[in-house]
Order: sequence, then C-alpha cells, then structure tokens
Amino acid sequence: MPEKIFAAVSEKEVTRAIVGGFAKQFIEYVESDCLIIGGGPSGLMAGRDLALKGLKILIIERNNYIGGGFWIGGYLMNKVTVREPGQKILEELGIPYEEVTPGLFVADGPHACSKLIAAACDAGVKFANMTIFDDVILREGNRVCGAVVNWTPVQALPREITCVDPIALEAKIVVDSTGHDACVVRKLEERGILKTSGYGAMWVEQSEDLVVEHTGEVHPGLIVTGMAVATTYGLPRMGPTFGAMLLSGRKGAQIILKKMNKD
Amino acid sequence: MDHLIDRIPLRFEIYEEGDISIVNLNKLKKYVQETTGIEVFLRGNIYENISMDQVQTIAQKMAQLRIKDPEKEFLNKTPLKGEVTYEEERISDQKWKSFGILYEGILYQKHLADFPLKKKLNERYCSILITNQLVGTWDQNDHRYHIRTSIYGSPHIISVPGLVLAPAKPREFYIKRQMGVPVEILKEEYKGRFLEHGDLRTTEILKGYLIQALFYDLIGNPFCDDSDCRLFNSHWQEEMLHAQLDGKYEFCSKHEALLKKIRNTNKEVQSLKMV
Repeated sequence: MPEKIFAAVSEKEVTRAIVGGFAKQFIEYVESDCLIIGGGPSGLMAGRDLALKGLKILIIERNNYIGGGFWIGGYLMNKVTVREPGQKILEELGIPYEEVTPGLFVADGPHACSKLIAAACDAGVKFANMTIFDDVILREGNRVCGAVVNWTPVQALPREITCVDPIALEAKIVVDSTGHDACVVRKLEERGILKTSGYGAMWVEQSEDLVVEHTGEVHPGLIVTGMAVATTYGLPRMGPTFGAMLLSGRKGAQIILKKMNKD
Repeated sequence: MDHLIDRIPLRFEIYEEGDISIVNLNKLKKYVQETTGIEVFLRGNIYENISMDQVQTIAQKMAQLRIKDPEKEFLNKTPLKGEVTYEEERISDQKWKSFGILYEGILYQKHLADFPLKKKLNERYCSILITNQLVGTWDQNDHRYHIRTSIYGSPHIISVPGLVLAPAKPREFYIKRQMGVPVEILKEEYKGRFLEHGDLRTTEILKGYLIQALFYDLIGNPFCDDSDCRLFNSHWQEEMLHAQLDGKYEFCSKHEALLKKIRNTNKEVQSLKMV
C-alpha cells in the first residue's frame, strides 16, 4: 500500500473548520475601525494603507472575486495602465511594469491585481466576499456608522422563495469604493440626505486628477474613493487608467487616518 | 469714430487664475503694447492676498457654478461638502493645476466681478482674466452648454484649456474615436492640426484673443468675418490655428486701420502729457 499524501480528515471536521473559522472572524469584524464597501483597486489600496497603520479593516465585496475591474484594462484586454505618478505604487507593491510612452505605464492585469490583493491581505485586511451592501446605519446627526449587508445570492432569488433579512456591521468610518454605482452614496441620496450628480458626460484627460482631488468625506462618517467619486460629483468620464483609483484609495486612507488621529 | 476714441481703454490689466505657466505673459504684454499703444499691467493671481473668510465665500459660490450635465440648464444650488472643499483648495493654491470642471461662464464672470475683482475693475480699463479653468455658456439653439475659449465682458475671461477643448478637432478625429481608435493614436495621426494641453503655441494664439477683448470694449463686437484675421471667431481648431498662426496677415485691413488709429491716438495723448 502506498503511503497517503494527505492527512486523514473527515468531512465533518472540514465543515467545522470552515464554519468555525468564518464565524470567529465574522464575530470579530462585526465591529471594525473601517468598513470598506467594494473590493476594487481603490478599496483595496485604502484598506491596505489603513491596515498597515494597525486599523481593523473589513472589505465587503458583492462578487466572489476581489479586485473589481483591476484584472483587465479596456475592451476586456488584461493589460492595465497607469499614468505618472501611479507607477510609484506599482513599484511599492512589487508589480512589474513597462513605460509605454513618457508618463504612461502598463502592467499585466492578473499580476497587478493579485499583488494588490495580497498586499491588502498581508497588511491584515479581512474580506467578506459574496456580500452585498443593502443599506447604511445612521446615528445622531445622520452620521454613517455602519452598513446593512446580505449574501449576494439572496438578491438573485425570487421573493417568494426566499426572504432573508440582512444583518448589520458597525464601523467608525465607512468607505464607498463601489465604483460607478456609488451604492452607499446613492443610498443616502434615496433617503434625501444628499444629492449626487451622476456620471459626467464630458471627456477630459484631467479627470484622473479630479477624482483624487475630490476623494474625501462626502457626509459625516462616509468617505468616497475611486470611481464612486466621479459619480458622486459628476466628474468627467475617463479612460481605463487605474492610477487615480490607487491614488484615490491612498488619499482616502490618509483622510481617515487624520480623522482618527493616527497619521 | 469719435465715440470709438472715447472708448479706448486707459490700460490693459491682465489677471491670472491657477497655473498658466505655459503662457508667456511678458511676451503677451509686449505684443499688446506694440499692437495697440496701450500700456499693459500684469496683475498676478486674482486670489492673491485673499482672506480665509473670502476663500470660503468664493468657494461656496464657485461650487454652485458647476455644470454637471451639459445638456441641462442646471445650477448646483446646494453643492456637496466635497465640492466646496475642492474649491477652497483650488482658490488657496495659486498654482492649482487641474481642470475639467465646467463652470457657468456668465455667472463665473459676474462672480469674479462681485468678489475677487470687486475693487479692481474699472470701466476705463480692459481687464482680462487668463484662467486655467473651463467655462461654458448655454446655447439656445441646440439647448446645451458649450465650452468657450473666451467670454467677453467685465472682466473678459480667456480660458487656456478652452483653447484646446472648445474649437472642434478635425471631423475625422471624432468619427475614428467613436469607432474605438485610442485617443493616443489619433493624437499622433492628427498631430499639429489641433492645440494640445501644454502646447508651446499657446502664447502666440492668445495674442489674437487679447485683441478680441479690446474690440469688444471698443465696438461691442470682438470678431471679424475674415478667416485670415486674428479676430476671426474660430469654431474649429484648424480655423483657430490658421487665424492665429499662419493667416495671410495679422489683422484684416479694417481692423488694422482701427488699431493704427488707436496707436496714433495714444501717441497724441502721450505727447500731450509730455507737454
């Protein structure tokens, strides 16, 4: 008889390990320093920088996979581009890149995205994927201090089959990094708390700068980063370059650290 | 014609907004003085020596002038906190680089006159703001906002990025872009046929726009129908480059004659002062 490669473990022990591990982490992260909605490049970048400073960070992501649109560039082609100074972050994360024209850099999407995810994990960020944002938790003065979430598949099922109530996660700060959808900001808009502008119709090359410059607190307790910034403020459209996403995430983190007196 | 002489400005006053380092202001000053005989004063940034209270007031107003959707005649009555913060930062940094927000041009002009330039404008001066921001005006014909190179009035506004974005690029450029050709490739293909951000031709092109401002003050019409004259109202980049860089002459005979008259009048005034 050849020796078995893997240890003898029963199915029930595997199940216990999954449930126990998930539950332990979930209970711990029901309350966090910062709850980031959306695991795309800006959310990952913000989470990574905050976790490196010792903050307790949970990123919720509606998809199974983390990384958002950072896996691919334009037209489903898996090369991602950044403009100067975005390449400095690629360098920091150990992502190989090439300079195409002065100031424009290209990297492999899978390499860039997986390195960014790994950097966030290494820093201590925890994730709840397949988890969809449902609503905000508001406290005195309409301050945002958490989110109501549910399993993503629940939304795909007909009401008559399932009616699963969501659960709530609390945090000192919530970040909307949900991309063009700007889900959290839109929820505040639905409640009549603020008014967004929608997606700008103009095309201006400078819009990357504007996204970074507008990154910040849009409402007490709510920071907006990445493409959600463009939707919130109606900034002009821009091409598939990711420098602004990375820099916006970093700026969002800096603002949060300042608010928490951790910078 | 005597009325025209009465309306000759005593001086040009040129103000800056944001980073316009691509513009050689001293070169413009020299050109305008030689072309018109009128003295030019470079007044620096409009937000110089502005108090913190004023920054907040101006920022709040600026944020209200954002055009969010060019197809809607819309004003941002209750701006978001982040929009006001952005304006505060922009006003506080006199070398602010980024642009891309489109502002309601007519109200922008009024706002400049009411706040940062309140005590500086004089009806006998030709006051011009050269800005690195984008201004637009509502067009009643097609019911949408259009980016403008210039908005004449008090003060006159000339937008440096407006020179790049307002006059249309060659028609084929847009067709190919719609077909998915990357902008970088198109820029290479049509290189030289339109102005780009940071283009070294900017100062030369601006010369004509400063003289347009003067004619607006003199006769209420800054433009000329002659496509070789620097006063031509260019709607296409190629028209602008032709009128400002390689027209048959700088000014058509009619406008050249008027400029000569202005120069001579100023010479007479100067010599009378000497006596």
